[in-house]
Amino acid sequence: MIELIGVSKRFGDSLAVNNISLKVASGEFCCLVGTSGCGKSTTLRMINRLIEHSDGEIHIDQQPIRSFREEVLRRRIGYAIQSTGLFPHWTVARNIGLVPRLLKWSQAAVDARVEELMALLRLDMAEFAGKYPHQLSGGQAQRVGVARALAADPDILLMDEPFGALDPITRENLQLELRDLQARLGKTIVFVTHDMDEALRLADHLVVMHEGQVVQQGHPLELLREPANEFVTSLLGGEDRGLKEAALLPVSERMVPLGVGGVARDRIVQTASLRDALSMMLWRRVERLAVVDDEDIPIGELSFRRLVGARGHE
Amino acid sequence: MNERHGAPWLAPLCWGILLVGGCLLMRFLEAPLRLVEPDSRAVVFERVDLLTLLGRHLLVVSVAALLSVVVGVVAAIAVTREKGRDFLPLVAQVASMGQTFPPVAVLALAVPVLGFGTVPIIVALMLYGLLPVVRNTLAGIEGIDPAVREAARGMGMTSRQILRQVELPLASPVIVAGIRTSVTINIATAALGATVGASNLGEPIIAGIVNGNTAYIVQGAVLIALLALTVDSLFGWLAPGHTG
Ligand SMILES: Nc1ncnc2c1ncn2[C@@H]1O[C@H](COP(=O)(O)OP(=O)(O)OP(=O)(O)O)[C@@H](O)[C@H]1O
Ligand SMILES: [Mg+2]
Repeated sequence: MIELIGVSKRFGDSLAVNNISLKVASGEFCCLVGTSGCGKSTTLRMINRLIEHSDGEIHIDQQPIRSFREEVLRRRIGYAIQSTGLFPHWTVARNIGLVPRLLKWSQAAVDARVEELMALLRLDMAEFAGKYPHQLSGGQAQRVGVARALAADPDILLMDEPFGALDPITRENLQLELRDLQARLGKTIVFVTHDMDEALRLADHLVVMHEGQVVQQGHPLELLREPANEFVTSLLGGEDRGLKEAALLPVSERMVPLGVGGVARDRIVQTASLRDALSMMLWRRVERLAVVDDEDIPIGELSFRRLVGARGHE
Repeated sequence: MNERHGAPWLAPLCWGILLVGGCLLMRFLEAPLRLVEPDSRAVVFERVDLLTLLGRHLLVVSVAALLSVVVGVVAAIAVTREKGRDFLPLVAQVASMGQTFPPVAVLALAVPVLGFGTVPIIVALMLYGLLPVVRNTLAGIEGIDPAVREAARGMGMTSRQILRQVELPLASPVIVAGIRTSVTINIATAALGATVGASNLGEPIIAGIVNGNTAYIVQGAVLIALLALTVDSLFGWLAPGHTG
């Protein structure tokens, strides 16, 4: 668990972070969003003491972070940044194995771990292990950066726009993988991003920052439905809010279980989002979709009226 | 990493052979030297064996280079640490200014303090050679991508580990280029030592100037040039891809 209590950071006269309090429970995925320069990176970097906080307290698992030696603290916290910071004179494999080596794992254990991580991030061992960072594409380098952050299996991951340089498809794959990883391994993640869809897709806990302060925090749906002010509204997409909310809700939420009547021709899987369902209706020009389970067996129906959540009967 | 053509050791080998050959065989070159200096009685410098002079020249330059590398690299590392940061602008400024200071002046200032002989020339060479080393070490360390340093810290490396495993390896090509410049310049500059009584390849030159014997000057100059070329091409072979 990470806890920030009344934390501030001053650079000279300017307050980069102003009295923020924040609690990230174990296994929670926390996203920090806000306009450029609002203090997201500063907040993140205070957690692993790359920046020392000026005021307040930061605790990890109930222990003040200043009670650890800096290096010890950082080795148990994964850290990935947009510009990757891969060591240009080391191969991919050596870069990934950095923290395990710092922790004095045996060479065999380091090698095995590197192999495991490369597989996890879909980096072909034979092709990439011996390459140097300048031989990688931006996306490959970012995956190596994430692999390096995960190497020593830290409970906590701090990620500063780690997928910034990726194409939408790779990006979405990595988001899903990260989400999956976090759910499976129970990692606690603090993730900074500019991409609101990314934040909404990933976060259990969304923190909106503005000028060094937390404007609002909570579950993404909560923020979408009850934004604290104009700033949050516009940051979360303004007119697009409806679609953003629909993207967070699964079809199963609004469908009617299969009853009487004919089954609609167009099918959608129950785990798809309402946004996907809406898109399919628009595209196929239909008002009804058959909802199926993972085995493609019809289990219900979704009408346009139900989709938009209209009250009353059809 | 960089493309290299042919055998990279060929250049230092050739220059080295010419250099040693020149020292050993100079006395058989009386005829061509006579062309340069038809009037003098002797045209081959024979007061001291040329190979001995070469050895002394190398010794002086090596000792000075070793000292300037150690002092220069350590100083540059010190001022790029957190604790030494305050001195960085000062050292950087002195390093870039110092190069414009003529070595003759350093020598002239060193003699009254240190007396005649080999010591003042070593001091002068060390000071003069210090500057490219400091400047390049600073440039090499400061030139490292800040993201790399941030990642290194963020991963939990200690300052010492960062210095040894990240900063020095990444800066080393630039540092070596600085050492190369420093040594090459000092091979030529060391000749000045002969004016304050240090015996080295500058001796034939000074003797030539004093006696108005151009042939002597040519011998000293050619050998010094060959030495500089040998050492420079050695650097080129051992640390390719970067020129001073
Ligand atoms: N080392 C520093 N020294 C002085 N000021 C700093 C330093 N680091 C950050 N700041 C200032 O603190 C403020 C917050 O910076 P921060 O990097 O946390 O913003 P951010 O929210 O991450 O922005 P972005 O989205 O552009 O990355 C900015 O005004 C920045 O200029
Ligand atoms: Mg930032």
